[in-house]
Amino acid sequence: MEPLTTDMILVMCMIGLAVFLFVVEWVRVDVVAILMMVILPLLHLVTPKEAFVGMSSNAVISIIAVIIIGAGLDRTGIINRLVKPVMAIAGKSASRVIIAISLTVAVISSFMQNIGAAALFLPAIQRISKMQKIPLSRLLMPVGFSAILGGTITLVGCSPLILLNDLLAPFHLEPFGLFDVTPIGLALVASGIACFILFGRLMLPQGDHGEGSHEEQGSDPDLAFSDLGEMYELVTPEDFTHYRDPITVLDLRKRYLCNVLAMTEPPDFKTLSPAPETVLHSGIELVVHGKKEDLSRMAAAEGMQIKDTLETYKFDLDSSKSGIVEAVVAPRSNLIGKTLPEVNFQDRFRVSPMSIYRQEETYRSRMRDIRFQAGDVIRLFGSWKRLKTLQQEGGLLFSIPTEMEYMRPEKAIWAGIWLVTALVMIMGFKIQLSVSLMTGALGMIITRVLSVDEAYQSVDWRTIFLLAGLIPLGIATEKTGAAAWIAHSVLNLIGTVSPIVLLSVIGVLSTLFTLVISNVGATVLLVPLVVNMALAAHADPRMAALVVGLATSNSFVLPTHQVNALYMGPGRYRTFDFLKAGSLVSIVFLVVMIAMIALIYGV
Amino acid sequence: MSIITISRGSYSMGVIVAEQVAQRLGYSIISRDLLLDASDRFHIPEIRLIRAIHDAPSILERFSHSKQAYLAYIRAALAERASGGNVVYHGLAGHILLKNIEGVLKVRITADMNYRAAREAEREGISVDEARSILEKDDQQRRRWTKSLHGVDPWDSSLYDLAIRIDHFKVDDAVEFICRAVESERFRETKKSLQMINDLALACKVKAEIVDEFPTLGVTCQYGNIIVYTKDKSHGSKLHKHLEAVRGKFSGIYNLEIHSAAVFPPEAV
Repeated sequence: MEPLTTDMILVMCMIGLAVFLFVVEWVRVDVVAILMMVILPLLHLVTPKEAFVGMSSNAVISIIAVIIIGAGLDRTGIINRLVKPVMAIAGKSASRVIIAISLTVAVISSFMQNIGAAALFLPAIQRISKMQKIPLSRLLMPVGFSAILGGTITLVGCSPLILLNDLLAPFHLEPFGLFDVTPIGLALVASGIACFILFGRLMLPQGDHGEGSHEEQGSDPDLAFSDLGEMYELVTPEDFTHYRDPITVLDLRKRYLCNVLAMTEPPDFKTLSPAPETVLHSGIELVVHGKKEDLSRMAAAEGMQIKDTLETYKFDLDSSKSGIVEAVVAPRSNLIGKTLPEVNFQDRFRVSPMSIYRQEETYRSRMRDIRFQAGDVIRLFGSWKRLKTLQQEGGLLFSIPTEMEYMRPEKAIWAGIWLVTALVMIMGFKIQLSVSLMTGALGMIITRVLSVDEAYQSVDWRTIFLLAGLIPLGIATEKTGAAAWIAHSVLNLIGTVSPIVLLSVIGVLSTLFTLVISNVGATVLLVPLVVNMALAAHADPRMAALVVGLATSNSFVLPTHQVNALYMGPGRYRTFDFLKAGSLVSIVFLVVMIAMIALIYGV
Repeated sequence: MSIITISRGSYSMGVIVAEQVAQRLGYSIISRDLLLDASDRFHIPEIRLIRAIHDAPSILERFSHSKQAYLAYIRAALAERASGGNVVYHGLAGHILLKNIEGVLKVRITADMNYRAAREAEREGISVDEARSILEKDDQQRRRWTKSLHGVDPWDSSLYDLAIRIDHFKVDDAVEFICRAVESERFRETKKSLQMINDLALACKVKAEIVDEFPTLGVTCQYGNIIVYTKDKSHGSKLHKHLEAVRGKFSGIYNLEIHSAAVFPPEAV
């Protein structure tokens, strides 16, 4: 074994620093990656060229192209069109619905970013949940897990697998083909879905069990919000504005947590979703949504009279014209980090935000101060027309009970052609992944499936910099001999083990790493290490790397994976729910993965 | 019905001014008895409360948050007493403990160091230099206290509505200024100011109930709707249970929410 050098120690310190920053989250993960990109050449651990080589790597270009292709497919609505035939096959049985949607999402996720596929399907799942009367909590977790598992079906399904060939290149190992992982990926998806079908009742919060339990409220959006009250029509007294400061819509919300959904403005203009600063006048009708006790308190304090039923607004608030929806803040939404007034939400869209759901809590007070996070669920009231405008604006995921209007459905055929072209180039002509996928992406731009600006906007630069920034860390680990040193030390410590045991240990290690640091971080750090370990232990180094590439998708135990974080709010899941279901799926994942590798590659 | 807070340095005649203002307006005066009140209610030795309101927190105390807890108790006692109105509070932290409340007249009484040192020397029978040294130490301690806990300098005159150099006036003049000032429109009680002080009292009560176990949480109250803020991404069921118990303890709480991963609003106690 080589002696420990200063460079090796420095690299290990850098790895330690990166892992530490990943865990404490003082800065975002992509910033940690950029930090590595800058520090490593300054310490002369990599050359300046090597520091930025990630930017031109096959992996980074491939992921950019995959994101653009995914955005193109999204814009044509081609994916949403799949929902109808899939549902027709699935029928009414909950298990069949879960299998059908999970499989569809998994297949789509194998060619798109997992989070993209998960976000795209959320509105459809919400709709299916309502239509088939299946609690959302029973659907979302299986589908979310399938979106993550689907990433293992092809080599472009998730960032760790896209990276794999680049990380193998310095060792002069044979790269993996696009579908080399497919049998393993399919087995993982099948086993994941099987877990939910067989043990779903034990793993998931059940909507039809328990009385008044959290699970019951958590399982269905209607039930979950039923404690937030109902709509009432009220009349203000004739002397409402006499001898007092004007009262606005916002005042009622602040004081009584009641939402004014509609009101009459003198002389007789009916306004739906009035602006917060709108002043209430004497002798007018208004429709308010709130809890009965809050409403009674308001009526008594302000001298308003509650009507028995909706009268003036009976037709305006008919369910064919307006309604209440739950919208989920999308992963890359413009709303993230901003408050409602900061984005002029109510002025722009004229819909009424009623409550926000986050981390097992429903927020009704001071909603205007809340800075949004991805996965927050906003309950909104508005006319369908305005809600549709809001939906088209993007950033919020929700379904409205009218037929979806696809932005460019006529381009669906082109999107399909370019996707197939890219696949044929990869499989038929063995052209490099990045070139083939970029051809597909360019094709979509030229045939105007999406504009070049839309393509640029769709790229998630955080993912790109995370990938590109961590690649030099992998290079430094390998170049300085730190990877070989650690690998030998670990092997000396554990002694001689069989290849299966070694792969299993690598699988468990990767699973643990991916839970605390990102899947890309885990892959970049572990691949050079495990390849060295496998070489020293006379096992197949490619398989060791493959285990890392696959097992870094084994992120189910905590809601840290983007997909789990997105589905946590709408599914009303608690961290404990992920712990319960995720533990089983994680163990099954490891067993199936090792068994499949042993079966196919004869390790 | 108004609230006057008088902030003062040692030997700045602030106590006398406060007492005379209270007497002239028929207001009740709150000072040391506030600490006794808090001490009784929360079973904390008075000496600890005095230290909490006087000494800047040590490094250890910053970690243990004990000072935060004592302050919460003092603040709860003050807010409750002040919510009845017609009070003069003289003490270091009045303007901070009642910050963001409309209609509170915040007065600062100060004096030249030579004037203060001479008075202290005379009263304590020590040399002027000794007295000056004691006063400087005391002032420094108070400045550090406010700066470390609230990030403001108590000597910043913009924190006050009225600042009086007592060595340039007579005590009667100062009393006159304050009594005239409190009559102005701005310091009259309104429905809004009453609501604010009641909300503050309720928020302080809730904070005092939870501060022992959850010292880092913030609490606000708006029209009886309480929000408990936590910087953590999630919170345990323990906090939930604790708050449910608190909710049953006080009347006037209409809604209680926990906001996770939140930025605390400035008025949070």
